[in-house]
Amino acid sequence: MGSLVLSGVARSFGNVTAVRDVSFEVPAGTTFGLLGPNGAGKTTTMRMILGILPPDRGTVTWNGAPIDLHVRRRFGYLPEERGLYAKVKVRDHIAYFGRLHGVEPPDDKAGADQWIERLGLGEYANRRCGELSKGNQQKVQIACAALHHPELLILDEPFSGLDPVNAETLLDALRALREAGTTLILSSHQMWQIEDLCERFCIIAHGTVRASGTLTELRSGWPTRVVKVEPPSPALRAVIDAVPGARELPSPERLLVYEVPVSTDSASLLRALVAADAVTRFERVEPRLADIYVRATENAE
Amino acid sequence: MNTVAIVFAAEFERRVRSRAFVFGTVIGAVSIALIAFLPAMVGNFAGASKTLVLVGEPRLTSTAAQLLARDFTIAASVPRLPQSPKDYLDAHKKVTAVAVLARARDGLRVETYTRNPGELRGTLATDLVPLQVGLTTGVQPETIAAHTRVTIDEHDVSGRFSNATQAIEAKGIAYVFVMLLYLAILLNAQSIVGAVAEEKTSRIAELLVASIDTAQLLLAKVLAATASGFIQLALWIGTAALAARAVGDFFNDNAPAASASAGVGLGVTPTEVLWFVLFFVLGFIQYAVLFAAAGSLVNRSEDTSSISGPLYIPIVGAIVIAQFALQYPNAPNAVVLSFVPLLSPFVMFTRVVVSTVPVWQLVTSIALNVVTAVALAWAAGRVYRLGMLLYGRVPTPRQIVAALRQR
Repeated sequence: MGSLVLSGVARSFGNVTAVRDVSFEVPAGTTFGLLGPNGAGKTTTMRMILGILPPDRGTVTWNGAPIDLHVRRRFGYLPEERGLYAKVKVRDHIAYFGRLHGVEPPDDKAGADQWIERLGLGEYANRRCGELSKGNQQKVQIACAALHHPELLILDEPFSGLDPVNAETLLDALRALREAGTTLILSSHQMWQIEDLCERFCIIAHGTVRASGTLTELRSGWPTRVVKVEPPSPALRAVIDAVPGARELPSPERLLVYEVPVSTDSASLLRALVAADAVTRFERVEPRLADIYVRATENAE
Repeated sequence: MNTVAIVFAAEFERRVRSRAFVFGTVIGAVSIALIAFLPAMVGNFAGASKTLVLVGEPRLTSTAAQLLARDFTIAASVPRLPQSPKDYLDAHKKVTAVAVLARARDGLRVETYTRNPGELRGTLATDLVPLQVGLTTGVQPETIAAHTRVTIDEHDVSGRFSNATQAIEAKGIAYVFVMLLYLAILLNAQSIVGAVAEEKTSRIAELLVASIDTAQLLLAKVLAATASGFIQLALWIGTAALAARAVGDFFNDNAPAASASAGVGLGVTPTEVLWFVLFFVLGFIQYAVLFAAAGSLVNRSEDTSSISGPLYIPIVGAIVIAQFALQYPNAPNAVVLSFVPLLSPFVMFTRVVVSTVPVWQLVTSIALNVVTAVALAWAAGRVYRLGMLLYGRVPTPRQIVAALRQR
């Protein structure tokens, strides 16, 4: 298993620059979230990792070496657009893509059966792909991408088109792959799923990296935190108002919600609040990935 | 397992199990059987329906009946008709024509009454020449007829054919095989374009390109198309041979057309089959890579015809030139065009079947075809890679040139 490194990668299409300058590293076995608004350059970056598109500039390496066809065959890919042969049966389709990635018969069919069972596609195994719903087609394609136990699996918007139950099935499958040692790169606009699944993130906009790292690293650069205090008594309000840089946020609930500088000592603040009045709730809220994403990609849409 | 073999096997299976292939093969086989039967049936009916009634003085009509017996059935010879020719023909539907023979100052005068003017004129005129000469010279028409039959023995100095029948049969074989190659390319071209366009528009191409080299992908697809096309062709040829044999049995070789069909179907030599296989593979591959590249440029199914349309021009051109080469295989034009790739699979094959082609010409033509097939596959692979990943628009000529130059 190796790590994936992108260094100064760029790619243009005619006069349009899709990726301006992207660098990041994905350590082996990591689950990595590649985030960004529409048109940020995520799909082009993924295609360059897979060798579908050569970069105009920069390098992409896997385990320190350039990615050639032999390496690519050990990768898996789920494109954003669904690509299935409409007239081919589900089981045959999955087995075919397994063979293309080096799975020899009869393991191709056996592997297909395992994934069919894991993704709950049993009743569709002998149906043509074109007859399946969008969500089930999505699952077939995930099986195609994962059958050969890829070292690196790239999933472009894997949750789009899936209902909550199927999304949970997919999450389970991805967790199983992660436990088996597969490095995962995925893009999604479903922030809560990404936040739950990924260990590292890279947020890109306009073809450049806006932020990257673990969630803790991303949060460390966030200048404020939110504190929630209950009850909303005047005494408690006065204590928080006295914190330098504190700003009250609107709240639909009967509680005080304030944004305070990250340097604010929570323990000292809590002691001051308790001294001022009875406190039934004190909560310091870390910024969510969605908050960081919105701030990092501001003006990028 | 080799990825080319994997894609080939899957592609081949998809093609031969597709409805288009099954319907195309069945319809083609039925059409071939009909084509084999129709001329014989028409010929048989036509032969049976060429029935004459001769009207005139007995000496004239009896001599004419002898002379016309080779080409017509003479239903009756009478001095005069009991009713008008129109009424007579209306009453006797099986009679093709009434021919009224009379002496004239300059020999013989014939008036015909028929439902289809012009149909019998040439044959009647030829067959009745001895009677005409006899009337004007006084020599017995039978004697003249005996002396006007010229025996011609044709000898092929190249030693290719031992008699004229063989040469005529060879032309028939060349014609049929060239038409089969034309049909095979025509029927498979659209399915190649459609399959490649489907992979592009459904984004399967991205998955394939991520796991197999585009040149290998194209090669596998073209080989699968060639193999399925060849199987289709073999089935058609088998049908043609069986139909020809059936025609011969059915009509008991009475009709000349049936004999001709049987000759074409059963008289093919192994060498001719070998040439056909060689030129079929070379020709089919060249066209298949071009159509696959065209398919990769398609963004919407409505664009398929406009993008692949120009590729039909050399196919139609080749079939027209092959007809010319069939009659004049060693004419300078035919010789030159038999070296031109895309045309030569049709033209050189025709020449090699109907005439003796110098070995150097044959070797040069095959070499040029092989080189062209490889060059087209290389260039089409570049265009294919460019086209498969370019969505929403057709690449500009500059982009295509850049793709060809890309290392």
